[in-house]
Amino acid sequence: MHPGPDDPRVGPVRRAGDDLLAVAVADVVLAQALAARLRATGDWLEAVAGMASVVAQFDPQAVDAGTAADRLRDAAAGMPARPRPAGEAIEISVVYGGEYGPDLAHVCELTGLSEAAFVARHTAAVHRVDLLGFTPGFAYLDAHPDFDVPRRAEPRPRVAAGAVGIANGRTGLYALPGPGGWHIVGRTPERLFLPEARDPFRLAPGVAVRFRAMAPDEFEDRAGQ
Amino acid sequence: MTIRVVKSGVQTTVQARPRSGLRHLGVPASGPADPLSFALANRLAGNALDAAGLEITLWGAAFAFDTDALIGIAGAPCEVRRDGRRVDTHATILARAGQQLDIGPATAGARTYLAVAGGIAADTVLGSAATYLPAELGGYSGRALRGGDRLQICDPPGRPAPVTTPEEFRPPTGRAIALRACESAESGLLDDEARHRLFDCNFTVGARADRMGLQLDGARFETTVAGRLETAPVFPGTLQCPGDGRPFLLGIDAQTTGGYPRIAQVARVDRHLIGQLRPGGHVRFLRRSPEAARQDLDSMLRYWSRWLPGIEALL
Repeated sequence: MHPGPDDPRVGPVRRAGDDLLAVAVADVVLAQALAARLRATGDWLEAVAGMASVVAQFDPQAVDAGTAADRLRDAAAGMPARPRPAGEAIEISVVYGGEYGPDLAHVCELTGLSEAAFVARHTAAVHRVDLLGFTPGFAYLDAHPDFDVPRRAEPRPRVAAGAVGIANGRTGLYALPGPGGWHIVGRTPERLFLPEARDPFRLAPGVAVRFRAMAPDEFEDRAGQ
Repeated sequence: MTIRVVKSGVQTTVQARPRSGLRHLGVPASGPADPLSFALANRLAGNALDAAGLEITLWGAAFAFDTDALIGIAGAPCEVRRDGRRVDTHATILARAGQQLDIGPATAGARTYLAVAGGIAADTVLGSAATYLPAELGGYSGRALRGGDRLQICDPPGRPAPVTTPEEFRPPTGRAIALRACESAESGLLDDEARHRLFDCNFTVGARADRMGLQLDGARFETTVAGRLETAPVFPGTLQCPGDGRPFLLGIDAQTTGGYPRIAQVARVDRHLIGQLRPGGHVRFLRRSPEAARQDLDSMLRYWSRWLPGIEALL
C-alpha cells in the first residue's frame, strides 16, 4: 500500500542551500525510513533524517537541482506506512545532579518537580532512540511531557562524555565531549561510541533505553575500570 | 622517513579526504577546513590532491626532517624558514635530511597547509585518515600533534618534480572575507528587515572559533521560535541562529544535526573560505539565489581545474 503523491505525511520539497534539499515529514520514523531509502539509491552525497524532516545533499556537478528535487519527491511519495521498529531494551546507569548534572536544579525549577521526583520519573520512563546525530553516537531519545524545558539560551562550549541532557522533553546522550545546548541533568560512565569496534555505535534508532540512578561512588568505580 | 614535530603550535592536525556519507550516524565530514589551499599544497608536493597532510592553525609550527623531502605549503600566508633562511612558499620546497622548517604565524587567514611528497601515513577510521578531534578519530592517534611526535612519510610514487604555483592560482587571503550564501530552511523565521540586514552587515568572528564553527558578533537576530525547533540536519556552511541571537556559522567538523533555526547556507563555491576565518576577522554574506550559486561554482571549478585537476571532488 503506497499512499501516493498526495501523502499528507510528506510536505513539499524545498531548497535549503545551493546543494541541499529539505522535505518535512510527519514523524521521525518516516524520516528515518525516507533517508535510508535515499541513501540506498547511491544518488546522494548525504541523506540525513531529522525529527520531522529529511535533508539530502546532491552533487551539483552530477545532477541539476530540478532532477534531484524530482527524485526526492518520487522517493517520498512512495513511502509505505511503516510500523515503529522494535529494538532491544538497554539499561544505562546515571548519576543525577551535583557536579554530574549541573543543570538538574534549574530543570526542576522550570518543571516544578523536586529533584527526587525528576529522577523517579526519568528512571521509570521507557525512552526510545529517535535518531543518532549531532556528533558520533549522540542519541536523541523520544519526548516525554514531564521534561519539557527549552534548550539553554547559550550553548556550553564543553560538555563531558556520558552527559545526560534534557531539552524539549527529550533526553540526549552525549557519547563524546564537545559543545552542547542541552540542560545537563546527569552523567553515565557507559561508552556509547567505540570507534575501534566493528559496530561502533552502541545505540541505534528504535532501541529502548531505561535509566537507572547510580551513586557517584559507583560511577567513579566504573569510570576507573 | 620521518618528520619530527619540533613545535606543534596552537593546533596542528593531520587532515585528508573528508568522511562522507556518514552524517546520518552523527559522523561529521572533517578533513581540511580549507580544502582548496590543502589541494594547492598537495599539488606543490606532487601528491594526489587529497593526500594526507598537515593543517597548521594561526601561530605556526616547526618540523625537522630525517630524510630529503619535497614540501608544498599553501593557505594562510606566513613566513617559512629553512634552517633560519626564508624560502618562497609558492614553489616546491626541498627539505634536506637534518634540516628544519619553521612555519611562522599566519599574517592573514587562519590555516596553513603543509604537504610532503608521498603524503603522511595516518590512521584510517570510518573511511578516512582525516583527524576529527572531538571523537579522537583518524590522523595521528586522533589527536593534535605535540612536540616530539614523529610522522611517517609514505613513499612517493616515482620522483615528483618541483613546481611553482602560477600567479593566477595564488588565492588572496584577507582579514575580511565575503561568503556567497543562499537562504536556508528557516530563513522565513526572520522578518523582512532582518533578512535584509543579514546580508547587509559586517560580522566579527568571535573568540569561539574552531573547526566545528564560529560565533559571529555584530548584529543579533530574532526568530519567532528560537530554542523550540525540532532537531534537523545541518551541514558545513549552515548559519544557525541560537536563542541569544548571535549567528553561529558551522565549519568542516560541524555536528550533523541541530536545533537552532537555519537562517542561511554558505554556497558550496565559498565553503572552503570558512576555514580561513580567524577570531577578530571580518565576514559578511552575499545573497545568492541557488541557481546563481550553482553557476558561480561551475565557473570556479572550471577555473581551478586547470591547475588542480579533480578539485571538484574536494570542494
